[in-house]
Amino acid sequence: MITIDEITIIRDGREIIYDYSEQIPAGSITVIVGPNGSGKSTLLAAIAGDIAPDKGTITIDDHHPILTSASTLAGIRAMAVQNQSFVLGFTVREVVEMGGNSAEVLEALELSELADRLVTTLSGGEAQRVAIAQAIAQGTPVLLLDEPLASQDIYSRRKIIELLQQRAESGTTVVVVAHSSETELTWADKVVNQFH
Amino acid sequence: MKKSLPFIFLSCAFFISLSIGATQIADFWTALINPGSNEILWQIRVPRVTAAVIVGAALGVAGLLAQGACNNAVAEPAILGTSAGAAFGAVLAISVGLVEVGTVGAIFCGTLGALLATSLTFKLAALRGALSSFTLIIVGIAVSAIFTSFVGIASAMASRAEARSISFWSFGSLALITSENLIGVSITTTIGVAIAWRIAPFLDRLSLGDATAFHLGTDVSRIRLLALIGLSIAAGGAVSTVGSIAFIGLAAPHIARFIYGPSHRQLVVHSAVIGALIVVVADTVSRTIAQPNELPIGLATALLGAPVLIALVAVKNNVWRTQ
Repeated sequence: MITIDEITIIRDGREIIYDYSEQIPAGSITVIVGPNGSGKSTLLAAIAGDIAPDKGTITIDDHHPILTSASTLAGIRAMAVQNQSFVLGFTVREVVEMGGNSAEVLEALELSELADRLVTTLSGGEAQRVAIAQAIAQGTPVLLLDEPLASQDIYSRRKIIELLQQRAESGTTVVVVAHSSETELTWADKVVNQFH
Repeated sequence: MKKSLPFIFLSCAFFISLSIGATQIADFWTALINPGSNEILWQIRVPRVTAAVIVGAALGVAGLLAQGACNNAVAEPAILGTSAGAAFGAVLAISVGLVEVGTVGAIFCGTLGALLATSLTFKLAALRGALSSFTLIIVGIAVSAIFTSFVGIASAMASRAEARSISFWSFGSLALITSENLIGVSITTTIGVAIAWRIAPFLDRLSLGDATAFHLGTDVSRIRLLALIGLSIAAGGAVSTVGSIAFIGLAAPHIARFIYGPSHRQLVVHSAVIGALIVVVADTVSRTIAQPNELPIGLATALLGAPVLIALVAVKNNVWRTQ
């Protein structure tokens, strides 16, 4: 269970999120939707422990992400950022293995054929799938994905959604940021649309 | 075979460098297996060529740490102000009579100067929030210029000959190496390499960006601090012993990356070996090409390393992608 309790986040003098509360149930898929600049990604970053709320608290079960060490946090939540860029020529397999065991997730996301390709040579959609694969490979109870479907074709979207559904069924709490225009959200257990 | 090639080249270069110079050593191999039998070989060339290996390894690993910590292809000790800070620390301490040139004390002061300058670069670059690679490089160049000016001023004002010349601090020289130098620079190099080896897997993750590295469990600030300490100790020890030798910190990690890929554990070893190889060859060239004069070694390292780097970029340029 992720509990967001009356948080306010101010960035560069602008109130991005104000006095916001939400409960995200365990073992479900929650999709946060809203237009650009509405604070969806900021909320996800706060849940991940990247940024501290100026007011209020966020907890993942009993852990406060912002007060938890990076190594402990990596066993609790995994996150795939939007527009993951790669500067060094690791292979797809090497990058996914930085998260954990790669074989299963590479196959599930149809990245097996790309496993030995350098990540610096991938297209935007492929690079995003590698970032998702790496986060899933971490095998954490909470999975946070920032716009995972944005650069994907219909077939890849379906594959990603199927994999997220499987993860949720096996107990993983999945939180996804998406544009509502990207896809029908019937696959989500909960849709949060406070960010408009 | 590919993995051992630089080791083989380094071994060959080491013995060739020992065997050639202004004075011909009669019966070289016999003299080599009898320590102390030939004064020029054992008192001058062995310490000098050994220093070339150690200094090259130190600068190669320092460059790797700089590039890894900054996640930037052009970062190196000279760009981040580390080399200029080391030269300033050493020349100031020598000028005021605090330490003697070539001693462990001078190396200590050089390392402190390197730490000061590198920390200053990182602090100033982060003044406006998150550390950006671009700001880091710009600030590093400025800090380097300031400390280089300080070195020039301190050298010009020093009455003590031991403070050495601005040419020494700017282009480097292995001509005055002693056995005591070797002890100090060996210690700093070992510490730098050990830190690099320890944090290498975290530098792999840092290449994915600070946010992703953090999500994978990396304490980004701590790793960057350790890298800063490691590169300052490695480069500081080297620069305070032989002056600033250009290009090794930039070229050695890139050449190693082009040949062996981006994994930092492997790159620690290969950057050290390739750095050592370039310095040994450059030193041999610099002391033999214009006999009886000796060229500053920094000129030779740039002349040798640059074409290799350009050739590798031309042939295979997808190892480090800039945005």
